[in-house]
Amino acid sequence: MGAPKTNPSTDAFRAQDSPLPYVDHFHLDPADLRKVLGLALSSGGDFAEIYMEHRAYDFVNMEEDIIKETAESVDLGLGIRVLSGDRTGFGYTSDLRLEKIEGAARTAAAIASGKAKAAPRRPREKRLPASVYRVSAPADKAGLRKKIALVREAYEAAQKSDGRIAKVKAYFQDSLSHVALLNSDGLFVRDTRPMVKLVCVAISEKAGRRELGYWGGGGRVGLEYFRNVLTPRAIGEQAAREALLLLEAVDAPAGEMPIVLAPGHSGVLIHEAVGHLLEADFNRKRTSIFWNKMGKKVGSDLVTIYDDPTIPAFRGSYNVDDEGTVPRRTLLIDKGVVRGLLQDRLSAGLMGRPLTGHGRRQDFSHAPVPRMANTYIARGEHAPEEIVKSVRKGFYVASLSGGQVEDSGKFTFSVSLGYLIEDGKLTAPVKQATLIGTNIDVLRRLEMAGSDLEFGLQTGTCSKEGQDVPVTDGCPTLKISRMTVGGRA
Amino acid sequence: MKRAAAAGAAAAPSDLRVLAGWLVDFARKCGADEAEVSVVDGRDFDVDVRRGRIEHLVEAGSRSCGLRVIKDKRTAYASSSDLAPETLRRLVRNAVRRAELASPDACSGLAPLAKTSIDPAALDLFDPAVASLDSKTKIRLARETERIALADKRITNSYGANFGTSETRSVLANSNGFVGEYEQTDCELSVGLQAGGTDDKVEDSWFSAKRHFQDLATPEEVARKAVERTVRQLKPRKIGTQNVPVIFEPTQTSWLMGFLFGCVTGTAVYQKASFLAGQLGRRIANGLVTVVDDGLLAGRLGTRPFDSDGLPSRRTQVVEKGILRNYLCNTYAARKLGLESTGNADGSGVGPNNFYLEPGKTSPRAIIAGTKKGLILIRALGHGLNSVNGDISRGAFGLWVEDGEIAYPVSEITISGNLGRILQGIEAVGDDLEFFSSVTGPTIKVAEMTVAGQ
Repeated sequence: MGAPKTNPSTDAFRAQDSPLPYVDHFHLDPADLRKVLGLALSSGGDFAEIYMEHRAYDFVNMEEDIIKETAESVDLGLGIRVLSGDRTGFGYTSDLRLEKIEGAARTAAAIASGKAKAAPRRPREKRLPASVYRVSAPADKAGLRKKIALVREAYEAAQKSDGRIAKVKAYFQDSLSHVALLNSDGLFVRDTRPMVKLVCVAISEKAGRRELGYWGGGGRVGLEYFRNVLTPRAIGEQAAREALLLLEAVDAPAGEMPIVLAPGHSGVLIHEAVGHLLEADFNRKRTSIFWNKMGKKVGSDLVTIYDDPTIPAFRGSYNVDDEGTVPRRTLLIDKGVVRGLLQDRLSAGLMGRPLTGHGRRQDFSHAPVPRMANTYIARGEHAPEEIVKSVRKGFYVASLSGGQVEDSGKFTFSVSLGYLIEDGKLTAPVKQATLIGTNIDVLRRLEMAGSDLEFGLQTGTCSKEGQDVPVTDGCPTLKISRMTVGGRA
Repeated sequence: MKRAAAAGAAAAPSDLRVLAGWLVDFARKCGADEAEVSVVDGRDFDVDVRRGRIEHLVEAGSRSCGLRVIKDKRTAYASSSDLAPETLRRLVRNAVRRAELASPDACSGLAPLAKTSIDPAALDLFDPAVASLDSKTKIRLARETERIALADKRITNSYGANFGTSETRSVLANSNGFVGEYEQTDCELSVGLQAGGTDDKVEDSWFSAKRHFQDLATPEEVARKAVERTVRQLKPRKIGTQNVPVIFEPTQTSWLMGFLFGCVTGTAVYQKASFLAGQLGRRIANGLVTVVDDGLLAGRLGTRPFDSDGLPSRRTQVVEKGILRNYLCNTYAARKLGLESTGNADGSGVGPNNFYLEPGKTSPRAIIAGTKKGLILIRALGHGLNSVNGDISRGAFGLWVEDGEIAYPVSEITISGNLGRILQGIEAVGDDLEFFSSVTGPTIKVAEMTVAGQ
């Protein structure tokens, strides 16, 4: 790990006669904001920061064959954070009158007790490298009719694909966030973050049995994505396909057996089993099973894991994290050896480690914590077919609906569609099952990795300590020699 | 400072009730047939103490406004945390214009004005003692709780203790003439712990959440319970895959009830997203099972005078001695199903009030004593709940029971079953119902589920 990239800066606030469009967006005067930072440091805090956010959001949903409703929302506010050693004081307000902002600053300041140590430094704007967002037809500029057409297309594709599709739901959402951050080190940075998402849910029905299929896509892109990358029609058809397949699915087997994970979706396993426990806060506090394993071998040679917030267009990507650090691809595990942690400013400072650009927050009302962005396991050498062929009797995980981990490394994840593997071939589809294991066991038992790295749906959200952030994860086809499948005996 | 927003704010009605009424009128003026406005003003405090030191302290106030307009039976929603009048006016105008793009929906529209209303004061939702609690006391309670827990030598690490309070004032007004307002408080004390070494860690936590400060458990009680729940999992064994009776502790009955709630909402039923669609009046559980949704229980966490459609809260029998009696509906879902709203409107969806399984007469101790071999489910991980078919599959932690006694903890197992079959197979209901959250239930014993291990 090297030091984070520094970017050429310009003085953000010198030209008072031509106010910055950004700060203007919040109706806030730079001189006032500097005073607020001074107030935030007035009780002796080491560091203060103002995070401003304006987010506009649109939503359309269709069910029961009608465009049921549309919604628009506006979130506007700012959060003020003061660090004092390992302590964090935080205040926020959605009322941007100066006296309310000062109130939030005083709340945050009170985490420290004493006299002001230093005044905030003169701010300079940090110029960001080339944007990782890929928008040619911005959703915020498109009329609602266009968004309605996307929803309708996905809905109808699912509905028309088969007579056994009993119900369909489809929705579209897009948002545009303007964020601006000013801290007492003199950093001023701003970013405008687009996001779109189109989802279809199909329910199939046959002889009283019902099953559900889900598909969707999006990311930090514009509406062109739904023409060029993943069409609404494909989203609708995939949701229907999954719902129909499940009608024929058998109960999952139960017990320990070899597992093959499909590429893409199964990245959830890496997210749960490894990613969370390499977030720096859990290691600094020594609650993670990894805290004393830096540089140690914890998995097979096939295990190389990265988190990269800079993959263009991805849902988990960003130009700058929520505390002003330009992110970099971070190596977490290299050939089975723990090499890195996902850092935010607080943990990096206390641990004496470089920043990685993983300090994220749900919105202005939360302080940042270390989070994943786009987490993936690197590709291997094996052809995917070869991997399936190597299993005489086992379980193939085709799609996953989520997972959960605790600091001991014990995790579960929910399989929404799987297949039995019999004599090296996929046979009957399998419905709802849970996989459970301990991360170190699974990392050691990773036997084969495919050459087919893929990423899962661009619709995922990760929750930690009550904060939701968009993420993506990925992996190639993987074989784990044995793992517990929770099905029916 | 530029005062564009602030100057406008001064000219606007400052009182939330006035603001809500003004927005309803403005929406009507803009052409809405019907309009509904909710405004929430909250004040939150939250402190985390870890290893004796304050780690994180948050204090803030926030306001937000939600809006629904209906024009020609077409609906649009909007919401904002920016209460500047020009933002709100723009959102109203956009919403009325946007409504035209939705499809006409015969079931849309506000609830008719109810003939009765419930006095919020009778529901005991607000405690001035919570509102006036000073920061020092809150910090002391969290610190004390963690200190007591860490004094136990078996505890090897701490996630920290938390004390949080909130005070919220909610206003709802609509163009049918409904105006309602209430204030509520919450306070919560919790602590999370680890026991064991780095490679054989176990973890758990405990909490107490109440509307009234005097009802909150003491630091000693919270700490003791958290320690006991954590250390009882030390040195777990693995077990083989088998079908056995499963005893759900109240915290586990609580998620099972949450899953049942999702399956009895009118929304899930008309969307055919519930295996209980079309089952009204049928036996869905055995006779020991009675499930109630009650928005009127004084002082409880799920209590409120009216729902988000402005209808007065009530008590609804959902399952009566095994028979499915009612789906829980907001006005919209009720119209879709040709039923009556049960006062469960929550935002634009359906939410629980106090949703609980009625207690039985058997003590948890007797339930365990009556089990020759089985699993006591103490924690579950993961999201394997499928309302469409009732399937359940989750990671689990438990205590193994042999000959009516707890033998040893077990981990790395999963439990799987089906809610329909579980409800039929409940063979004992405990007498230990507590309202620790708004969705709750006592200890129960389910005749058989698959526990998968080695």
